Amino acid sequence: MSEFILALAAVFISAGALLIVANQLGLPPVPFYILAGIIAGAFIDQPALIELSLWGVAFLVFVFGTQVDLADIQSVLRDGEIAAVTQLIVVAPIAFGVGYVLGITVGFEDPIRNALYFAAAATLSSTLVGAKILQEEIRNNLVHGRLASSIHFFDDIVAIGALLVLSAEILTDDVLITSKIGYGVLFLLAGLLIYRHGYPLLVRVAGGVDELVLMGSISLLIVFLAAAEYVGISIVVGAFAAGLSVRTDDVASIGVKNGIESIKDFFAAIFFVTVGALVTFPTFEVLGFAGILIILVVVVNPIIHTTAFIFEGYDGRTGFLAGSSLNQISELAIVIAIQAWLLETIAPTLFEAIILAAAVTMIFSALAGRYEQRVYDVALHPILGRRRGYLDERSHVEEGISDHVVIIGYGRQGHRLVRTLEDNEIPYVVIENDPAIRDDLEAECANYVFGDAMARYPLELTGIERARLVVSTVDHLPVSRSLLEFGLSTDIILRADSSPAAQELFDEGATFVVVPNILAIEQLLQQLERVLGDESEIEQIEAEHRKYLKLIEFAGLERRLERI
Amino acid sequence: MVEVALAADFALIIVAATAIGLVARQLGQPTIVAYILTGVVLGPVLLDVVTAEGLVDHMAELGLGFLLFLLGLKMRIDDIREIFAPISNIAIGQTVLQTALAFIIALALGFGTVEVLVIALATVFGATPIIVKLLTDKDEITSLPGKIDVGVLIIQDIYLVIVLALFSADELGDAGEITTTLAVIFVMMGFILLFSIASSRYILPTLFRRIADNKDVFLIVAIAWAFLFIAVADVFELSVEVGAFLAGLSLAQLPYSKELQDRITPITDFFILIFFASIGLQIESAATLLTFWQEAVIASIILMIGNFWIMFYLIDREGFSVETSFLGSINMVQVSEFSLVVGALALAQGFIDDAVLGYLTLMALLTMTVSTYLITYNHAIFDRLEPWFERFETGDEIIETSEGYSDHAVAIGFDEVTEPALALLQDRFGEVVVIDRKTEHIAELDAEGRFDYVFGDFRHSEVRKASGLSKAKFVLSSTVEPDVNEALLREVRDDAIVFVEAERIADAHRLYERGAAYVIMNTYLTAERLSHYLELYFNDRAAFDRAIEVDIGRIRRRSRRMGAHDSSLVDLTIDPRDLGDSDE
Repeated sequence: MSEFILALAAVFISAGALLIVANQLGLPPVPFYILAGIIAGAFIDQPALIELSLWGVAFLVFVFGTQVDLADIQSVLRDGEIAAVTQLIVVAPIAFGVGYVLGITVGFEDPIRNALYFAAAATLSSTLVGAKILQEEIRNNLVHGRLASSIHFFDDIVAIGALLVLSAEILTDDVLITSKIGYGVLFLLAGLLIYRHGYPLLVRVAGGVDELVLMGSISLLIVFLAAAEYVGISIVVGAFAAGLSVRTDDVASIGVKNGIESIKDFFAAIFFVTVGALVTFPTFEVLGFAGILIILVVVVNPIIHTTAFIFEGYDGRTGFLAGSSLNQISELAIVIAIQAWLLETIAPTLFEAIILAAAVTMIFSALAGRYEQRVYDVALHPILGRRRGYLDERSHVEEGISDHVVIIGYGRQGHRLVRTLEDNEIPYVVIENDPAIRDDLEAECANYVFGDAMARYPLELTGIERARLVVSTVDHLPVSRSLLEFGLSTDIILRADSSPAAQELFDEGATFVVVPNILAIEQLLQQLERVLGDESEIEQIEAEHRKYLKLIEFAGLERRLERI
Repeated sequence: MVEVALAADFALIIVAATAIGLVARQLGQPTIVAYILTGVVLGPVLLDVVTAEGLVDHMAELGLGFLLFLLGLKMRIDDIREIFAPISNIAIGQTVLQTALAFIIALALGFGTVEVLVIALATVFGATPIIVKLLTDKDEITSLPGKIDVGVLIIQDIYLVIVLALFSADELGDAGEITTTLAVIFVMMGFILLFSIASSRYILPTLFRRIADNKDVFLIVAIAWAFLFIAVADVFELSVEVGAFLAGLSLAQLPYSKELQDRITPITDFFILIFFASIGLQIESAATLLTFWQEAVIASIILMIGNFWIMFYLIDREGFSVETSFLGSINMVQVSEFSLVVGALALAQGFIDDAVLGYLTLMALLTMTVSTYLITYNHAIFDRLEPWFERFETGDEIIETSEGYSDHAVAIGFDEVTEPALALLQDRFGEVVVIDRKTEHIAELDAEGRFDYVFGDFRHSEVRKASGLSKAKFVLSSTVEPDVNEALLREVRDDAIVFVEAERIADAHRLYERGAAYVIMNTYLTAERLSHYLELYFNDRAAFDRAIEVDIGRIRRRSRRMGAHDSSLVDLTIDPRDLGDSDE
């Protein structure tokens, strides 16, 4: 058995053992891969592994590329979250400055370049880790989840650009940099061209055999990598362009998507473990660098983001929750570091510090996510929740309203409820915190409060204490809990996604809990019995239902949803 | 970046293999043939641009490990228990007779003594990847001939693992040493086998129940498990293959194995390509491949015909029908890819030279190519030859009982929506299979014991196949992901009734166009009902109380049922909400 297989065995056994631990603690896998590498480092000294880990980099970026939709990029650029740009013009220069001063102090060979690496690590945050932590928030369409994930996406695009530029050996050479950017653009165009015309051809020639389409996709990756190497730009850019060229939105490509995903997971594990193994016993210098980096990422970054979000019009809680979800180093910053390591343009101290700080901040971010709400309530709300005049100005509630319904959230359900209440001439107040639907709120609702439903003052504005009924359409446990803890004597209708969660809210005093699946049962059974009784009913059911859907469409509900 | 180029040889192999594979696909040839050809084209025989060294060699070794891991994963003892006795008779008979035949032919063709021995041991009939792949594509893998073939292949694999272990031993001198080596192998294998069985009973169920919900962790821990066995095998000086196979075997007995197979298959495909190509690469020149070309052609023809009759005799003797015997036999007339594995090992150990490997390779290439057509048209061939084969009819054959699902109901996702409908579906369709990706739901289904279940992501083809989706009469899907539902509508038969869920109206319209019978739209239903409740609340409070009482009752029953399995579930979840309701 070769040394190589044994080295791989060391990689996977250590990674597997630590992943079990990570899973038990509910933490993301990436930092534990790095830890596994640090622990098993002695056994993983194989040049062949470095090669395999480069495949890990290629596949990571490749898969990211396959998931990118051109429309996504456009919408992120168009919406232009101020915060995303803020980090580039505020955090990046600060981090660059700090990195430069540190580099001079320690005496790095190329302080400007190292400062750039330092800045990239400090500024960019992680999709892999972030998306995992925010899973529930993104699924439930909560404002802060959406914000944070769009910044993650923005960061990833910036990272790809940074990789392109930083693959130049000499950063002061304008011609070199320009040619790199030129090649990068050409690669992206080639990727898009293949997406349009080449890939469908591949699928056709492969006759729908998953294995061949999969190998074809990997071959595309290889061709792009080879081309990138040939013209001397970062292979990461090649991998990204290759990813763009692969169609995964097709129904036929479900199997291929899974296949690429599996192979990526395999190589990515090797990559992160190998990166961990490159860290030797940390010196004081490394620890110092890592410490400063951690402070920048964990403290400075969230503060700036939060401020920018609030400035943009989000409430304090949303701003803080979104900002603090960005407190980890991006896995692409690790890729930037490893590229620099291969080019030998990064100081070893800085390299090790970035890897260490990445592992630490990724774990910290996952842990901190559990206490965010409490931290906000205890420490930040007194400061950020004080802007009452601002709130008053952006809300409209009839003086002395009483016996009304308070509706939390103006999404699909909130909208429907408002219509019913208006039809029945029952007074209501809507509370919503998403700036994207503020215009609708103003135009369509008689009474509304634009603010955080978990804070006391906005709720007081809704006259909740005089209300007859409170209906929350938001499926988020902290919101439900805080309403129950408000100490109201009115009836409260909440929302949950599963029966056990609903049961718990009942136990805590909810009048009723809406579980969409439970409410859908009756209708489903009804249709089922119809179909099973007489199969010719199917057409009738379809016709009825589609007519109904057309009606809803006509009411313009769907348009609103697309935006949220 | 220049010095650390991304393994050019390796990259070249993949691109070339894909190109040749695409051409082969157009000609209806199996990919394996294309991969071996890739090695021949890129290697010394033709272009001489790639060598089987360094990373390529490592990858090939890894590929073989993964292939055996995957084979182990497919060995569900429960699946073949009932026909185990006839199958093992067939397998043992086939192995002995066919090895003897290969021995006689090799001897007759004039090979040397050691070579004859190696050729006889290495010439194994029945290439698992080819048979499994083609039969699966034709949906015949669960038919009786398919089951017999797979059963025989599995027993053969055990035999092969032993042969492989034998060949990886360093010395193969006299009979005494062979016996000792064999004994050592058996003891070691027995030891790891015991560990594997023990772990599949005591360690793995707990471990995997905890991690199976998490896709990444699940895959990596499974791979780690394989490498753990590989490392243990290394301690006992056994091969990578033995370790990987036994690791797969121990995982196969878990309810999560289908899902795992689907995750491991692409990685195997990726590395096994390199492995097959490296076989072609090892042929020194066209001369070595063709040194014994006449012998190879003669041996191929005799062995294919001979093996068909051996199989036919053996299957027929066990009392299966003529058709079953015919199909089971004609599927098996190709040299196994393990011949090449064994051959490559024998070459590495110095038992044979390149020319003999060339002979084995040529034989594999020839028989695999021919048999692809034989399997593809197996029924047509039987129909032609049936009048002649009727003479073997005795009248007391075992009648094939169809065991796979058919005209049944499939539910995707076990949740509040699907659960109340399951009983109704069972009354109507008899069998209900639930596909679910959550270990806690599987535990609940298992405890209830009323419905069959498959653990796994619906996106995975093995999972869909295990549920008999393409034969289902009714499908109820509680996923809102449009791609999954569209794939579902494509795969079901035309007269199947399909209920799916959707979140957006545009998706609903599209699903109706693709043939859905009803699209459940939770969010709109909820909004409708809730606003209805609201009206009741203000206009007829008593009616409101009655209405929510029904829903509250449902929620309570459902969460109590989930709570009932909490003792086993406590470890399964990290979501504190799911833990709280055990006390009522």
